[in-house]
Amino acid sequence: MARKIIINPVTRISGFLELDVTVENGVVSEARTKGMMFRGFEQMMKGRKPFDAIYLTQRICGICSTAHSVGSSLALEDALNVTMEEQGRYLRDIIHGCEFLQNHIRHFYQYSVPDYVKMPPEHPLFTSYEGTARLPERENAAIVEHYFESLAISRLAHQLLALFGGKAPHNHGVYVGGYTTPATAVKIIEAKSMLQKIRNFIVDKMIPDTYTISRYYPELFQMGKGPGNLMSCGAFNGYEALGTLYTEPLVFNGKTNETSRFNADLIMENINYSWYQGKKTYKPFETMPEPDMEKEDAYTWVKAPRYDGMAVEVGPLARLWLSGDYRNGISAMDRTIARSLEAGKVVGIISTLLDQVVPDYMVQKEWELPSSAQGAGLVETTRGTLGHWMKIEDGVISFYQIITPSAWDYSASDENSLGTAEQAVMGTTITDPEQPVELGRILRSFDPCMSCATHVSSPGQETKTIQVF
Amino acid sequence: MSEHPVLPPESTDNESVAARLAREAKRQVAQGNLKKKKLVYLELNGCSGNIISLLNGSNPDFEYMITSMVDLLYSNSLMAAEGEQAVQRLFDLAAGDEEFILAVEGAVALKNNGMYHLVGKIGDRPVTGLEMAELLGKKATHVISVGACSVDGGPSAARPNLSQSVGLQGVLDRHIIKLPGCPVNPDWFLGTLAHLLMFGEPKLDDMNRPLMFYSTLIHDRCPRRPFFDQGIFAEKLGEPYCLFKVGCRGPVTRTDCPTRKWNDHVNWPIGASTCIGCAQFGFPDRMAPFISYDTTKE
Repeated sequence: MARKIIINPVTRISGFLELDVTVENGVVSEARTKGMMFRGFEQMMKGRKPFDAIYLTQRICGICSTAHSVGSSLALEDALNVTMEEQGRYLRDIIHGCEFLQNHIRHFYQYSVPDYVKMPPEHPLFTSYEGTARLPERENAAIVEHYFESLAISRLAHQLLALFGGKAPHNHGVYVGGYTTPATAVKIIEAKSMLQKIRNFIVDKMIPDTYTISRYYPELFQMGKGPGNLMSCGAFNGYEALGTLYTEPLVFNGKTNETSRFNADLIMENINYSWYQGKKTYKPFETMPEPDMEKEDAYTWVKAPRYDGMAVEVGPLARLWLSGDYRNGISAMDRTIARSLEAGKVVGIISTLLDQVVPDYMVQKEWELPSSAQGAGLVETTRGTLGHWMKIEDGVISFYQIITPSAWDYSASDENSLGTAEQAVMGTTITDPEQPVELGRILRSFDPCMSCATHVSSPGQETKTIQVF
Repeated sequence: MSEHPVLPPESTDNESVAARLAREAKRQVAQGNLKKKKLVYLELNGCSGNIISLLNGSNPDFEYMITSMVDLLYSNSLMAAEGEQAVQRLFDLAAGDEEFILAVEGAVALKNNGMYHLVGKIGDRPVTGLEMAELLGKKATHVISVGACSVDGGPSAARPNLSQSVGLQGVLDRHIIKLPGCPVNPDWFLGTLAHLLMFGEPKLDDMNRPLMFYSTLIHDRCPRRPFFDQGIFAEKLGEPYCLFKVGCRGPVTRTDCPTRKWNDHVNWPIGASTCIGCAQFGFPDRMAPFISYDTTKE
C-alpha cells in the first residue's frame, strides 16, 4: 500500500521547508522537497546602489548572514577590479570563520540533538515523538546538559564575530577591500582568548557527543547518501603566504569516482520544476527568471542548480572529503560528524589567520564605481558553495543572481535527476509512518537553510495518494 | 553585620534598569509570585535572524527564559516537534482558554491570500503565516513585533515587494508593542518580556516602542559625536572620525546601541562602520543608500 507522508514544517532549520514522500512497503519511493517562502531578493537588488548589496543581501538569512556579505563583497571586488590585500582577506576570513562556529554549534545542539536525545519533558518546547531516542540515561543527560552549555559557546562565537564585525547577526565589518575597521592588538588578544574557550568546548564536548550519538544510531551510516557527487569552490585556500588551509576547488564525481578541478563555467540553473518562467536552463549571468506560481508540473520555487549536469552535495562533508580529512562514507551520520569535525578545523584556521593580522592596518579607500561592469563572487560558506553574480549599469545594480548552498542541497528535480536531498531520502526504510523520525534526521543532516534557498510553493494540489495524518 | 547594609545608589542608566528588571523577574518567578506565562514565538516571512539574536542573550539567557520566565510553546527554529504535530499546537491554543503572549518575527506576506509564506500544513491544508497572525493575534494577551520585518515590513517588504509583505499591524487591528531592529537586540526583547511579566506593559513612545530602549537618538550619545561637533568627518570607512558624510544613519535612528552595544557589549555597528538605520521605520528603502562617498561633495 502506498502512503503519502507530508512533513510541514520541518522544524529546527532556518526557514520553512516541506517534505512530501510516498512510502511503499515501508520504503520511500517518491520524494519532494519544497521551499515554503518567497521574498525575491534578486529582484529586490535591481536599481539599488551596488555597495548596499553587502548589507541588504545579509538579510536573506539570519543564521548565515556573513556568508552573503562575503559573496556580495567578492562580486563587487570583481566588478570594481579591486584586488584585495592579504591583510584584507585575513580579517574577513576570520569574521566569516566565526559564523561557521556559531552555525555548526547551534546546528548540532539546538537543531540536531533533539532528533536523537530525549530532551527534558517539562519544557513544552521539547515534546515530540515518543520513544524514538535511544541513548542510555547517563549519556543522554550529559548531552542535554551540553545542549544548554553550548548556548554560551555559540554566543561567544557571535561575540568574536562582532568584535571585528560590529554586530551579529548582520555584520558591518565585511566590505569591499576586506574589512571596514582594522583590528587592534587588544582585539587580537581578546579574540584569541575567546577562541580558546570555543575550541575547548568543541574538542571536549561537541565532537565526543557527536560520536556518542553515532554509536547508538549506526543505521544512519547507511541512510541519506544522495547522489554522492561532492563540490567545493575552495575554502580558506590560496593565501599568498599560507597556501591552502582547507580545501582546494574540487569536484568529486560519485559515479566515476574521479576528482576534478572545480570550474565555475560548468554551473547551470534549471527551472523545469520550479515556479519560474523563462529560459529553462541558463548560466548565472544569462537571465533572471520571472516568478510564475501557475506553472504546471512545478512544485517548488527553489531552482535546480547543476554542476556539469549533476545534482551535487555541498557543505562540511563535501569539503572534508575533498581535502582528504574525512572519507569514512557519505551518509546522514557522516554528514553530522563532518560538521562537528569541521568546527574543530575552522578553529585552527582562525587561529592561524589571527597570527597573521597586523593591527591598525587600513585597507579602506574611496572605492570608485564604474558606470557599467559585472562581477561574480564564489565562496565556501557554512553550508557549502555560495555564488553572487552582479551587473552594474548607470551606477546601479541592473542584475543579481544568487545560488545558495541550500539551493544546491535542496534543489528541485530536473529532467534527468531528483534534487540532492530528494535523492538522499529515496529508498529510506521508515520504521513507523506515524513517527517518521528517519526523514527529519536525513533532512537536517544537510543543515538546510530555506531562508537562503528562499522561495515559494503552491501547496495542496498534488496529493494523489493516501494521507497518513 | 547589620541586617540592612547601606548600599551604593543604584545606577539608573538603561542597561542597569533592564538588568534589574530581568533579575527581579527571575526572583518573582522563583518565589511563585509570578505564574509562568505561555509564549508563542511565531516566525513569519523573514530571515529568522531575530530568534538567532535572541539566542545571543546572556542575562537572562535562553535557558533562563524557558526555565524561569515563560513556557515557550512554539518556535519553528527550536521546537522538537515537527509537521502537523507542531502546527496543531497553535490551533489548540487558539481554541483554548489559556492566556499567552505572542511574539512575531518576520513580515506577513499577503500575495495570493498569504500563500507566499506557509507556517505549515494540517493534513494537506496549507496554513499561511497570514492566517496564524490573525488567529493568534486576536487571542493573545500581549503582542510583540520583534524586528524590522514584523514592525513595518522591513527587508521582506523592500521594493518591489513581490510577496506583498507588510508588518504585523497591517493585518491586526489591536495594540502591538514594536521592537524595531534588524535584528532586534536580545536585551530589547528579553527586557520587554520581563517588564510585561512583572509590571505589565512598559512605557511606550507614540510609535509603540518601549522608551527604555528606543528613547534617544544614536547621534546624541555617539562616541564619535565630538568629531561631528568639531566638523571632523571620515571620508572613507575605517577612519575613527564622524561617519556622517559617508552615510551614517545615527542622526535619525533611535536606539540605545551606543551605550548597550551588541553581543555582550563587545562592539556595535558604528564601532566597525556606519549605522544603516536598521531600527528606523522604513528600513531598508528609506535608509538607503547605506554607504556613499559623495553625500556633501560639490
